Amino acid sequence: MDAGSFLSALTPLNIAFALFGVAAGTVIGSIPGLTATMAVAVLVPITFSMEPASALILLGAIYTGAIYGGAYAAILLNTPGTPSAIATTFDGYPMAKRGEGDLAVALACFASVFGGLVGALALLFLAPPLSSVALAFGPVEYFWLAIFGLSLIASLSSGNLLKGLAGGAFGLILSTVGVAEISADIRLTFGSQTMIGGFGVVGALIGLYCIPVLIDLVAVPDRHLDVKEGVKSVRIGEAARLAFKSKFNLLRSSVIGTLVGILPGAGGSVAGLVAYSEAKRTARDDQKFGEGEPDGIIATEAANNATVGGGFIPTLVLGIPGTPPDAVILGALLVQGVRTGPALFQSGGGSIAYTFIYGLIIATVLMLPVGLLIGRYAYKSIVTIPKAVLVPAVGFMTIIGTFAIRNSVSDVIIMILLGVFGWIVGRFGFAASPIVLGLILGPIAEQGFVQTWIIGSATNNLAGMFFGRPISQAIVAFTLLSLIYPLFAARRKSAQLNEHS
Amino acid sequence: MSTDTPVGADRQGQTGSLLVAGFFVLAGAITLYDTTRYTDVDSMVFPRAAATLLIICSMLSLVSTWLRPSAEPGFGQGSWWRRLLLVASMLGACLLMPVIGFLGAGCVAFVGGLIAAMHLRWSAATAFRFGGSGLIIMVGFYALFRYALHVPLP
Repeated sequence: MDAGSFLSALTPLNIAFALFGVAAGTVIGSIPGLTATMAVAVLVPITFSMEPASALILLGAIYTGAIYGGAYAAILLNTPGTPSAIATTFDGYPMAKRGEGDLAVALACFASVFGGLVGALALLFLAPPLSSVALAFGPVEYFWLAIFGLSLIASLSSGNLLKGLAGGAFGLILSTVGVAEISADIRLTFGSQTMIGGFGVVGALIGLYCIPVLIDLVAVPDRHLDVKEGVKSVRIGEAARLAFKSKFNLLRSSVIGTLVGILPGAGGSVAGLVAYSEAKRTARDDQKFGEGEPDGIIATEAANNATVGGGFIPTLVLGIPGTPPDAVILGALLVQGVRTGPALFQSGGGSIAYTFIYGLIIATVLMLPVGLLIGRYAYKSIVTIPKAVLVPAVGFMTIIGTFAIRNSVSDVIIMILLGVFGWIVGRFGFAASPIVLGLILGPIAEQGFVQTWIIGSATNNLAGMFFGRPISQAIVAFTLLSLIYPLFAARRKSAQLNEHS
Repeated sequence: MSTDTPVGADRQGQTGSLLVAGFFVLAGAITLYDTTRYTDVDSMVFPRAAATLLIICSMLSLVSTWLRPSAEPGFGQGSWWRRLLLVASMLGACLLMPVIGFLGAGCVAFVGGLIAAMHLRWSAATAFRFGGSGLIIMVGFYALFRYALHVPLP
């Protein structure tokens, strides 16, 4: 860490790269189907002829912008632009529907900037010691982390727990379709070559979240989103006050995001879900999560942007990418001749590492004006475009976005059919979110479970493997808390209502 | 399908909930059957656990909906031909994509969606304005994906 690195990051060229990267990433991330990984991967070749530090700053800025950009579509169209924004739909879209989409967009921007800064500062000051967290997580910890994420179903399905659990289990089954990762058995394809690749998470997300909204929109002549009278721009002041009021939620979610980001393979979607679960568990009685609660957006957006800095910790210190975009950036680093490892922070490479970290901080700060500006136009566009143009335009985007993931028409057909399925079951109380949770967390849970099972059987210590490790015990305790607490809270609420009546 | 009366909606909500729960039970049973042909025990542990959970939860949901009528809204009000046109045009576009190319298929999906979502009175001006906007959006995205992001669109 030195002043020279800071000044290198502040050159006009690097600031221009950071600005361009954040703006490009935000726009790409806001398009359903274009993930942060794709945004970074597509733009990597541009960086090959650049200085290593500038290349890293550009890629980091694109990554952080894309994670934030995913919130626009989540809030305004109920479609997570990136998987990291899944939990943003839970409260973002209800807020937009009741005429507070502008506030939700501004709130997402403040939370993303705060979370991004916490992650980047952790990378700056704590990278070497925190990287040991990644090594402390074995298969069993991943298994329990996935189960912890699945326990969110209990709080997402208040009043309909059985249907939520059934949806979650169905999502887990969908996640097993295709070639088994550990033993290579072909599962649930029924002889179809198309199904061997399994269900793509992004296509499934687009289908399950976006298609039902489009089907509902065309059926009735009502407006897409309500707009509050007299509001002419995004509500920056109000959003800043709300974010400041929820400072503890902001900080806790950012720390969760940083820690989850450090874990290889977990990523922004898991971080957002875990932070949302914690925010909901510790909510006041008057907060209604899932019905447009601002704290839900704050938790998710702070956490998913904190994974950017967190994910770089194992990438730069251990050479183990924390998230898929980190893997792409690691490849770009190797092309540039930069060797990752603890020495990167000490030897000659240190200046590149620190210039990049300062560049990431600058890009995150720049995300505030850029994000608010783009958010303002995104919101205005969505509320003013006539529904007759908005629906087919979004439909076209879902087709092109899903096709782009694996260049497959079959993926698009599966996306549409899953969307129709999600719409039908949603009409009868089986919500899409538990199915999506199962689909995303299934592979993490299965891999962790099977590996733990194999190690436990080989060492003749199955119970000890699953329940004997301290980190696992802590995650199990949190899981039990998040499963039991909604029941306890519902009981307490009904007791209070009885007292009042 | 009539959804005009609350009584009809209640009945539809209960019947639909029972049918969806029944579908999930069936899906769990098919998964359990599929696991019998896996060669490795590691492949079957997880799907079997998930299928068992699915069957238990769906059966309990089925019984509770049977005993206590569901309060789910069902399909609700709204135009069925518009819903069907939207989905049919999107699926049709996918099937036509290898034949008429991505942009042509996109036009099929867009026109279908436009007709389905159009609740205003049609006029030459709105048709020109909305159709033109759609064309600009489609060509813009096509160019972005094809030439900037190098996605091999058919």
